[in-house]
Amino acid sequence: MNTPNPNGHLLLFRGNEWYKGLSSSEIQKVLDHSRAWFERLAAQGKVKGAQALVRKGAIISGRKGQIVSDGPFAESKEAIGGYLLLDVETLEEAIAIAQTSPSLAYGTSIEVRPVAEECPLAACARELAREEQLEAANV
Amino acid sequence: MNTQSNNGYMLIFRGTDWYKGLSPEQMQQVADQWMAWFNRLKDEGTAIAGNPLEREGKIVSGKNRVVSDGPFAESKETIGGYFLLKVNTLDEAVTIAQQCPGLPYGIRVEVRPVAGECPMVAEVRAESQLASA
Repeated sequence: MNTPNPNGHLLLFRGNEWYKGLSSSEIQKVLDHSRAWFERLAAQGKVKGAQALVRKGAIISGRKGQIVSDGPFAESKEAIGGYLLLDVETLEEAIAIAQTSPSLAYGTSIEVRPVAEECPLAACARELAREEQLEAANV
Repeated sequence: MNTQSNNGYMLIFRGTDWYKGLSPEQMQQVADQWMAWFNRLKDEGTAIAGNPLEREGKIVSGKNRVVSDGPFAESKETIGGYFLLKVNTLDEAVTIAQQCPGLPYGIRVEVRPVAGECPMVAEVRAESQLASA
């Protein structure tokens, strides 16, 4: 888990309308804290990208993508509200940054994920092919 | 469904171990199709960014900032990657999502409008307008 990853780490902010019970002054306070938090990270050169997502959308599924349903809010208490792409090389540093997020105090959670260099599927296919070759050689 | 978003759309690919039953050749084929799809969208100027994610990670949650394993233990719908699209309507974004090569294997694609500002800011403004009305 300590291998440096030059592709960075993605923070996904989860929580469905976690700010609903708050007064507008409380919301303003969380906003100010969040903005200051973000600006500090940006000033340190740790931010590659960040966006908030509108609280609506669609989910596409089915073999031909023919099923279009509302989502993800009907299904999940943990819809993604936004992301922050961090230019940090270790999972530990990304976790440490996530832990300083002001929104956690209000019950959100943050998913921390290493960005892959290539599609993990292609890596998996190669790995599997190698295993099959080894097996064939051992028979 | 014709909602406009000038800030573009995000496609989020969901599915845990959806490729487990496939042979290495089939996996490589889907991976190649996926890459070709992304490159085509990028060349057209429709996709502005995209990243695959490693199948590992952690969840940080709550007041106590607890770190737990995840999201793989908890969910059948782990996020495997995302695209950022420069299109103006949800319909266009949905049409592109429907081309995802992972769909026949059980992948689901979440389509989300990107916000111009934090939705909380809009909320505060709406509330203060209500209060002053």
